[in-house]
Amino acid sequence: MKDLKHLYYFEKLLEDANNELVREAQKEGKLALGSVCFQIPEPLLNLPGCFSVRLRAPRTGSIEMGTYYMSSMLCEGCRAILERAIEGGYQFLDAILAPDACAQMNRCVENIERQNLCTKEKFFVEYADVPMKSDDTALRHYVKQMKEHLLQPLKNVYGIDISDDALRKAVEEQNEISRLITEIGDYRKLDNPTITGYEFAVLCLATFVCPKDKLVEKLRETREELKTRLPDERATYGARVAVVGSEIDDPYLIQMIEEAGALVVADRFCFGSLPGRQEIVLNDEEDVLTQICRTYIQWGKCPRFMDTVKIIERQEYVDQIAKEYKAQGLIYQQIKFCDYWGYERASAFHIMREEYGYPVLSIDRPYVAKSSGQLRTRVQAFVESLQVKQLEKQKKGEA
Amino acid sequence: MKYYGGCDSGSTYTKCVIIDEQGNIVASVIRKSRINPVLSAQDALDEAVGQVNNLASAKDLAYLVGTGYGRNKVPFAQENISEISCHAMGVHVTEPDVKAIIDIGGQDVKGIAVDTDGTVLNFAMNDKCAAGTGRFFESMARAFEMSLDEFSELSMTAKNTIPITAQCAVFAESEVISLVGEGKPMEEIAAGIQLSVAKRCFVMAKKAGVTDTVTLTGGCAKNLGLKKAIEKVLKVKVVDLKVDPQLMGALGAAEYARIKGSVSK
Repeated sequence: MKDLKHLYYFEKLLEDANNELVREAQKEGKLALGSVCFQIPEPLLNLPGCFSVRLRAPRTGSIEMGTYYMSSMLCEGCRAILERAIEGGYQFLDAILAPDACAQMNRCVENIERQNLCTKEKFFVEYADVPMKSDDTALRHYVKQMKEHLLQPLKNVYGIDISDDALRKAVEEQNEISRLITEIGDYRKLDNPTITGYEFAVLCLATFVCPKDKLVEKLRETREELKTRLPDERATYGARVAVVGSEIDDPYLIQMIEEAGALVVADRFCFGSLPGRQEIVLNDEEDVLTQICRTYIQWGKCPRFMDTVKIIERQEYVDQIAKEYKAQGLIYQQIKFCDYWGYERASAFHIMREEYGYPVLSIDRPYVAKSSGQLRTRVQAFVESLQVKQLEKQKKGEA
Repeated sequence: MKYYGGCDSGSTYTKCVIIDEQGNIVASVIRKSRINPVLSAQDALDEAVGQVNNLASAKDLAYLVGTGYGRNKVPFAQENISEISCHAMGVHVTEPDVKAIIDIGGQDVKGIAVDTDGTVLNFAMNDKCAAGTGRFFESMARAFEMSLDEFSELSMTAKNTIPITAQCAVFAESEVISLVGEGKPMEEIAAGIQLSVAKRCFVMAKKAGVTDTVTLTGGCAKNLGLKKAIEKVLKVKVVDLKVDPQLMGALGAAEYARIKGSVSK
């Protein structure tokens, strides 16, 4: 396929946490608010005068310093972010909002705080407890925590407007981005998709780490470009897969999977679009914060939600998107030492295979996985087995 | 007569097999890999082609498949297929009754379950670390100041086994040196090393779903001490192959070349 006009531009934005658009927004006087988890609702960080930056550590090499403070038995993603903080990579931040969602990530943020790795005068860190269940009590608790540990500190320290009107504005801004990403992502449903999983991952990831208003124009142009983009005449991949699991903040992992022959048509992982890049629908009867929090609880597909309703919902959701995006197989992946996905991956590997009938590849991986030859071999062998199954199906159909 | 080639560009050895239209092996080569996989594959292909009268160069092969870690670097190859699929196919054409493989290569260990048609049913593979692989054995044999064959023979003379706790090649080497320093019998330490690798293979085999019969492929399959240790921990008979087990990846690649070459005619 012909290259997307703005792909290189978006790729460049992902090379540094303090990217061109972040710097531009800060020059305009906006505050950069770092977050480390999906469960901090993005609109709360995108109130007028500020913007959200989901922390990641692009171009990570050695993580020795992060490992010294956190031990080698904790998630490499958390260690890589601490390493980047020690290197001075998050000096631009005005605050970090961390939920008590993942103890490992919290140790990382605590280290950033205790070691004064972000040195702006008013910089602060806040931790908020987020629910592990999805009922009404959990929602009330979530709303209270977001109010006390996120909105109020933003108002007190920086004088940010946290009114319902301001929240509505932030929701609308996010909805616009979500509509664009959804429209772009829908091209992955085509029999011969006109966007690759890698290209989509680059675009989607940019929406998590850049000021949203600054992305709209180029995303619109990309959406228009896709309306007439022609697919390759012959498919260059061997199978369509859905990738599920813990955070993937490195689109080169998706590229590696695709180079091994598996076209990534659905992204059910943290930093992906399913869910998270759908519209937040607001009514006029209820306060806006409660509605935002309810949406995020409904969206939440992290195995940190441990109630049975959510566990089953996660499996059904993967089944639903696999059907919708015509995935022939599932790749369950997690960063090594991720507690939540460690359990989820082990059980889902069997359940999705035995009960739902999907071929499943299960992998745990380092934070930076692009150059792993063994991972590439596993994916390729998985694709080859999917191709064989496909041929068998065709043969049965012909018989 | 048409000929089909398979080139297994491994991390330590490059293997090449050429078969005829009936699937008979007409040439085979095993060479130490060079730093550049293109050159390694080129050398192996040239040598294999030299064994067949009717072939002047690898370009004359009707179809060529690359496999192994350098599979996408094999010159003139029409396509590349993962070594997991190729080992399964290689074993299938050699011993169709064998349904499980433990492949111990230079840098990884794989457990592979094979379907009735030679395709892969399931597989498991070690991660980044080279514990329990050919590299591990090389470093152990070096610590013993022996060749790999001598090391294997030594391990089979042991009456007892001294357990080795470290799986990391570096730490295991220091552990072995300490044990030697303590005056422990060399053959018992060697048997301990074989057992520790066999246990690693046990994990891969079980993950892949090995049940009754299993065979070993890859360079380490020639290590008889290891074979004995694997039989002990897995409690299954390890089937000997009629063809050099180190050639299984290349043979499978050649068989895939024969299948694909016939279809694409």
